[in-house]
Amino acid sequence: MNSQFQARQIKQIWQRGVARRQFLKWGLGGVAAATAIAAGGFALLRRSPHDELPTPDWVTGLSAAEYHLFDRARVVLLPVEGTPLVDSEAVPVVANVQTTLSYLDPATRKELGAGLSLFDNVVVFSHGCRFVDLEDAQARALFDRWGEGSVLQRTLTTVIKQLVYSAYWQEPATWPPTEFDGPVSEKWGLEYLGNAPMPQQPTIDVEQEQA
Amino acid sequence: MSQVKWQASGLQVHQASDVTSEHIALEADVVVVGSGAGGAVTAYELARMGKRVIVLEAGPYVPSQAFTEDFTESLHALYQDKGGQANSSGDLLVLQGACVGGSTVVNGCVCFRTPDFILQDWQRDFGLSELTEAELAPYFDEVEQNLSVHDNGEHEIARHGQVIRAGANKLGWSVKPLRRNIRQCGLTGHCLSGCKTERKQSMLVTYLPWAQAHGARIYSDTRVEKVVTEGGVASGVEAVVTRHDGTVAATMTVKAPRVVLAAGAVQTPVLLLKSGLANRSGLVGKNFACHPSLLVAGRYPEPIHPWRGAMLGVHVDEFMHPDKGGFILEDGGFGLVEMTMLAEPGTGKPFMEYMENARYLAGLVTLIHDHNVGAIEWDGERKAINYQLSDADFPSMKRAIKAAAKLHLASGATEVYVPASDKRVIRSEADIDLQVDSLENDPQHLRMVSYHPQGTCHMGADPDHSVVKANGETHDVPGLYVADASLLPTSIIVNPQITVYALATRIARHMS
Repeated sequence: MNSQFQARQIKQIWQRGVARRQFLKWGLGGVAAATAIAAGGFALLRRSPHDELPTPDWVTGLSAAEYHLFDRARVVLLPVEGTPLVDSEAVPVVANVQTTLSYLDPATRKELGAGLSLFDNVVVFSHGCRFVDLEDAQARALFDRWGEGSVLQRTLTTVIKQLVYSAYWQEPATWPPTEFDGPVSEKWGLEYLGNAPMPQQPTIDVEQEQA
Repeated sequence: MSQVKWQASGLQVHQASDVTSEHIALEADVVVVGSGAGGAVTAYELARMGKRVIVLEAGPYVPSQAFTEDFTESLHALYQDKGGQANSSGDLLVLQGACVGGSTVVNGCVCFRTPDFILQDWQRDFGLSELTEAELAPYFDEVEQNLSVHDNGEHEIARHGQVIRAGANKLGWSVKPLRRNIRQCGLTGHCLSGCKTERKQSMLVTYLPWAQAHGARIYSDTRVEKVVTEGGVASGVEAVVTRHDGTVAATMTVKAPRVVLAAGAVQTPVLLLKSGLANRSGLVGKNFACHPSLLVAGRYPEPIHPWRGAMLGVHVDEFMHPDKGGFILEDGGFGLVEMTMLAEPGTGKPFMEYMENARYLAGLVTLIHDHNVGAIEWDGERKAINYQLSDADFPSMKRAIKAAAKLHLASGATEVYVPASDKRVIRSEADIDLQVDSLENDPQHLRMVSYHPQGTCHMGADPDHSVVKANGETHDVPGLYVADASLLPTSIIVNPQITVYALATRIARHMS
């Protein structure tokens, strides 16, 4: 497959996705769901230096490209310079994303994979390289611009952001600088009340009801 | 009447881990599908009348002591689809409990009676002449007493509720304490992760143990796949018991002349569609409404710590009647993960600065009286929630956002974040129209959540235009009942749990 053909194919996929109003799902707590974007077998338009980088041993539920995409998104989306916040390097962000994605049913997971591949590759048209190779500022500007863009652009950025954000902020290590208390019942020594007492005789009985 | 054997804590639940045979065959007088608001109440009412009752719950049994108060973990452990249940467009998360006790385990404890003007709509438009305020009042009285429903005391109105109340008073808007089903609230703010110390009066600590005390048997990990009929009359169900690793532990059949579906407004119609039953009207799964909600956050000059104190304290009912807007506002606490979905104050540094200052935020939940434009569908393999905010409802949504922004500003907020996909910050009254009027009713623009799916097997007098009768029995299949929020003919604006408790009580009394 030559690159011109690939480019045409990507454009068609893009247009089809928008025209049919088929979108990635996203979810609270970073639980992403489906994409109905057509097209399996979406080949890479341009090689990236990231393609040569190894992935950690724990990466079993993400493709290498997905791992690098989320790791790049981690850096772009979670800067902490000049703040008391915990460096995302110290938190298992991508591992948490992998866990969340493992809860998706296989069909949805496959569709999401197509969406992620589209996100990584389609910026070649506008930036001349894949998402994973964008400079930090370029990548952030891309997220902001797409947040105001077409339905498909909004969907893809929302999914990636939600996955990365929740994967970071779910970690207790990130909480102290914000003063978030986390679980408290045990810390406070709250007693268990147990089951509620049985109710008194109901005020409406069956005979009354049927009378 | 069975001998009452109430236990002080926990439940005796048959779980997949207990299964020793490939097939389980049971018999009962009533089989109840689902253990949430409708199922638990029905089970108790019928068990105390001496009926042999079996409750089948698709989700796991998670005892209170196992709750972690970690929202992400709770989504995975206690919620439908691990917290990822969404509409087909993916821009509306439909949060439902999927565990023994159902959504009552993970809700915010808010208890409203069905507004009278809603009941009047039902009487006028659906022939439900017997569902009057006077008829239902004794049922509401009873369930409220059973569940310790009370107006929030002053100590149950957290800082975020206090500032909102002050703002509402300044505007002259009607603001009231929320009523909640809770005993000795621990003020942890972790309602959505389940109440670890058993203060929330969910079905897990109330009607289910009471039903069990009267002999009801509860099976978790058990998904009903089909309702069975004989000669057109309900005769039982077929189910599958699944281990937590996803493998099948056993198949199950329950023979029972009464089948009560109480699996919620998404799963109940799916089950009817799978079974090919009760759909003469073609309305099974149709008429879906869900109170699409937004959480509008405001940033205050002083720390609020929105995760501290009771999660829900007060509500503004100034605009509840459809003639006045058709929405309510509830002050709502939240934690860090929930906060990540609220707003987009820019990517990178602006977002991290926003999160770093999370303690200065307070939230308002908007609930709108949406029209029943959605549908639950089953394609043979997967369910689909087809719901898009209608153009008719979009003005209500915008009015609710504007009111929330105005209220935050009156309460002293310096910034209000519109929960949209792009950056929209309101800093003064002059910004409100500018930021809200330009919102579009497009998928993936507003960050919506639904906690209240309803309406998919709605009640009505006419069998050609409704699925069930006012007594909960399906028009088409004698002995087959629905007792959950699927029943509601229209959305009711307010949190529906008490409405379901009251209707389920009434249905069970009529059945018995």
